[in-house]
Amino acid sequence: MTIQEKLEILTGAAKYDVSCSSSGSKRSSKGSELGSVSSGGICHTFTPDGRCVSLLKILLTNYCIYDCAYCANRKSNDINRAAFTIDEVVELTIHFYRRNYIEGLFLSSAVFKNANHTMEMLTSVIQKLRTDKGFGGYIHVKAIPGASQELINEAGLYADRMSVNIELPSDRSLKLLAPDKNKEDIFKPMKQISTNILNYQEEHRKYKKTPIYVPGGQSTQLIIGATPENDLDILSLSQKLYDKYDLKRVYYSAYIPVNTASNLPDIKNPPTLREHRLYQGDWLLRKYGFKAHELLNEQKPDFDINFDPKTNWALNNLSLFPVEINQAPYGVLLRVPGIGVRSAQKIASARRIAPLNYLDLKKLGVVLKRAQYFITCNTKYYGSVDLDEEKIRTVLKPQIDLNEADNPYEQLNLFDRLSDSSWKPKLLLPLALQIPSKLLLAEDCLTSVTGEL
Amino acid sequence: MKDYVYDGSFDGLLTAIFYAYQDKDRVKIVKAADYIPHLLNIKISVSTETDKADRVYNSIYSKLSYDTLSNIYHLYLSDIPDVENVILDYIKLCFKYSDTINLAKNNDTIRMVDKYKRRAYGEAHLFKGLVRFKEIAPLIFYSQIEPDHNILPLIIDHFKRRFSDQHFIIHDLKRQYAIIYNLKEAYLRDLSVEEGNQLSHSSESDPFESLFKSFYQSITIEERHNERQQRSYMPKRYWKHLVEM
Ligand code: SF4
Repeated sequence: MTIQEKLEILTGAAKYDVSCSSSGSKRSSKGSELGSVSSGGICHTFTPDGRCVSLLKILLTNYCIYDCAYCANRKSNDINRAAFTIDEVVELTIHFYRRNYIEGLFLSSAVFKNANHTMEMLTSVIQKLRTDKGFGGYIHVKAIPGASQELINEAGLYADRMSVNIELPSDRSLKLLAPDKNKEDIFKPMKQISTNILNYQEEHRKYKKTPIYVPGGQSTQLIIGATPENDLDILSLSQKLYDKYDLKRVYYSAYIPVNTASNLPDIKNPPTLREHRLYQGDWLLRKYGFKAHELLNEQKPDFDINFDPKTNWALNNLSLFPVEINQAPYGVLLRVPGIGVRSAQKIASARRIAPLNYLDLKKLGVVLKRAQYFITCNTKYYGSVDLDEEKIRTVLKPQIDLNEADNPYEQLNLFDRLSDSSWKPKLLLPLALQIPSKLLLAEDCLTSVTGEL
Repeated sequence: MKDYVYDGSFDGLLTAIFYAYQDKDRVKIVKAADYIPHLLNIKISVSTETDKADRVYNSIYSKLSYDTLSNIYHLYLSDIPDVENVILDYIKLCFKYSDTINLAKNNDTIRMVDKYKRRAYGEAHLFKGLVRFKEIAPLIFYSQIEPDHNILPLIIDHFKRRFSDQHFIIHDLKRQYAIIYNLKEAYLRDLSVEEGNQLSHSSESDPFESLFKSFYQSITIEERHNERQQRSYMPKRYWKHLVEM
């Protein structure tokens, strides 16, 4: 098999892992070594699905001894299989890197032979890159659930980031769809990595020579819509991961069916709008000081897909509004729908010079379409309707019901909608020739990436 | 109206500011390359005087702040038509109200400064990813780019740090100059399009280009097609020099 064919198979097998960020770590080359890591993260290209490509994301092999129901590489599937040698991965990484195609390597693998053997091979690759080749670029490596403590410890010495994919948001779903895995196997390495990070940091403070362990922290991925967990279950889990294991990021991946099995939902339409709302909710946890239980509760455990999570929250807590732009503390400004981190900072800065008027807000990047109902400016309320939950809901509701568009069991025919002249989407000028992604129906579709909510 | 015409260099711009700032008439600063004579305007050619440029530089640095000086440099690098007059307005504003005026994010001039600066920074950041090297001889790499803004000075350190063990050239075809790194130092020098094409055609095609293309095609998820988003992050005008497109 040629290297080209292997690359095709083992890239295709890795592509559903959504995380491709290369941020959060810093490493600069000493003397004449190759490579550096910049803390901001760098995208090297963007695929037609709109995602950032930063790392050479491949599996070492897709030969697997397990049979997880949702996975294309499960052993019962009849697919093309391939395996890279250690040197092949090392060479590809170095050559791609020297051409500035990538920030580094994201290496994962199906489980062949057993967890320890797989982890050993992954570790050999990154050890070789770091020590033999003096490679200083970004390395993200998967911790294979069930691998020994020593192997995980060692891999962490070479990696910028490690991740263990939880994939399914509850133990019950794991049992159902990934019978070979269990919760302990997943959380054990996660816990171990987070303890190691803390211990090494402590040591590093005392002895500057101690290396930093996994400087980019760890991340994980959850599959959305393959199992019955609601948004509250999912965001509560994320919050626990941020608080307890100090994860850097949780990634969400709308379930795309690659297999058919009786215990899998028969989905025609990956729930990407739901995924989008979860990403927005995730920003609110990480950057806006919200807790999962504020955003959702047992009575309303799922986001209303028609509204972003912050608007949703504000509508449910209307008694806290309106807030006065010229007085509200920064933390309160952050909770206003339509005021993102950047505009909140600008408001806090500009009002030190002089009180702001309503026209100023637009200049500061506030999205008045949403914010107008939740603020006063010099005590005056500018909302187009009264401060009333039902009235505001009515004006903010999108023209097309997004809950319907995101129904996973029906393929929504957007052509029907587009030829219906009563509905003119703002974002789709001129009427696109291809079927647009339904994500564009959400006017705030970029905010799940920028975090300006 | 008076048109102060300068040579396009940063020192030239500072010299033009030295004279234009004191002028009581309505003034405009314009680069020689962009200058279109106007019947009613008086043309004043400014030749670069380093002592004048230094005076402007130092008074911004000491009376205003390092940040303001750095803003002005980045505005200059944004290379946006008429940015010179935004810079002049900005300097006048800062001297009138003191450096704290920078906090007034709602002020039209300050907004313009923030916007242009972000554009230059943004593009420089993007190109840390979009530069594509071709290996034209063993461990010697060459890349062509056509950025909107004058970003080479903003990316030179990044590339020098990252590729410290390989020779490389990053060539801005629009502005006909390049970053050259020779394992010891990285510097900027003029390089014409013809010279560049000679460099790039001096070698066979690079076998890793087709491997990267395969990788790019295999990593795409068909079920999630979203070309609008792709183009909003990576506008089509940049595709020309990307091997995978
Ligand atoms: S262990 Fe990983 S690769 Fe193997 S079937 Fe399960 S999810 Fe797929």
